[in-house]
Amino acid sequence: MRVSDLHLRYRRKEPWVLADVNLDLAPGSVIEVVGPNGSGKSTLLRVIAGLLQPTRGTVTGRPAVVGYAPERFPSAQPFTVAGYLRHMAAVRRVDEAAIEEWTSRLRMDHLLGQWLPDLSKGSAHKVGLAQALFCRPDLLILDEPFAGLDGSTRAEVALTVEMVAARGGIVVASDHQGDLRSLLNVTRYEVRDSHVRPVATESAEPMLNLSVRLPLSRAGLLAAQLRAEGHEPLLSQDESVEVAE
Amino acid sequence: MIALTGFRIAGYGRSHRAFQPLLLLLVVISLLYATAVPEGDELTSYADSAAILIPVFAWAARGLLDTEPDEQRMIALTAVGRAEIASGLLAALVCNAILALVAVVWPLVAGFAVVPPGGTLVTGVGLHGLAVLAGTVIGALTSRPIMPSPAISIVVLIGGYVAILMAGSSSVWAAFPAMSWMHAANHGELAARLPVIVVSAAIWVGVGLFGYAGLRRTRP
Repeated sequence: MRVSDLHLRYRRKEPWVLADVNLDLAPGSVIEVVGPNGSGKSTLLRVIAGLLQPTRGTVTGRPAVVGYAPERFPSAQPFTVAGYLRHMAAVRRVDEAAIEEWTSRLRMDHLLGQWLPDLSKGSAHKVGLAQALFCRPDLLILDEPFAGLDGSTRAEVALTVEMVAARGGIVVASDHQGDLRSLLNVTRYEVRDSHVRPVATESAEPMLNLSVRLPLSRAGLLAAQLRAEGHEPLLSQDESVEVAE
Repeated sequence: MIALTGFRIAGYGRSHRAFQPLLLLLVVISLLYATAVPEGDELTSYADSAAILIPVFAWAARGLLDTEPDEQRMIALTAVGRAEIASGLLAALVCNAILALVAVVWPLVAGFAVVPPGGTLVTGVGLHGLAVLAGTVIGALTSRPIMPSPAISIVVLIGGYVAILMAGSSSVWAAFPAMSWMHAANHGELAARLPVIVVSAAIWVGVGLFGYAGLRRTRP
């Protein structure tokens, strides 16, 4: 997928929101979009998703199946969570089993009977993520996917991003929380002054391995929390311990 | 697209917005048929009813399209692409068809002195069908993606309808021919002028749909 010479403005004679944008989005890539509030991150995401047409320039090679989770899920709708997801599964022609898989992975099974307008911000956000993920997107657009989520769900979303990329999908996400930085091979771009520029990866600060001994049953959660905080847990097990199959 | 159409109709049906145009329609047709329509005048009444109900159909279409939050429309667009536009129009047409059915059946129960012949019924249904098409297009053109301001939107909706009536009084081609079919029905010329009226209506509905689809390209 390629974005070439993209220019966008909402009205004629207004300043460009995005200008001279050129991006190569290779299969399997994870793109993190950063930048100050109001700089045009969401606009860039919407152009890549195909929601906005460029005023000038082209977006070519967009995959057929696009998953889009907006920054604020539109919870003012007269449906329960289960009802909404069933409708969206039908729209996407996705088997309803996919709903169960994702509501379980996002730890939102207990929300299924609740009405969308009654959901908290974080819970509503999970519904938005579920509908974007259960269609097995080849292009996944996530606008602030980690905002308002608890630690374990944030780790699950980061893991999901890795999985989508691992099967050749493209993930483009804006992320103020920095949860994507724990993933390998994330390309970061900054949107500022209507231009999109690549951001150099972290400085070459010396790295340190810190060992922690803990019961095996607690290792998964801690590893997830560490990943969510941007660390890279290296798991190893005492050779004397036998793990039950 | 059908699943998305069903989702939108379900959302509209569960919201209170669906009742507003229904109540207005009931008020209008109960006024129209407050006194019994004598035998032979049924087609004139149907013609008037169809033309008068265009803004009600437009209001209903606008309400249906605006019930869905903007971000939900974005989600739908990524799911089905440009078919999202067709699904919204189809959902509005279905809801307006139900309103039109009420308007056609009502006088048969309480309005006409006698049940009119089949030809009159078919023509009445056809005129209400044309009105549904016109109302749906006007509603779509004044829906939130095109006109984000509710105040401007409702002024354009009503103003557009009045403009159609005023421009349409001079020629069948000058605007959507609601005025022409009322005039023809009142002068007993509807059967003769119906082909021209249908062609004019199809052209104006086509222009409206083309304009709506074009505007939505830059207004998701």
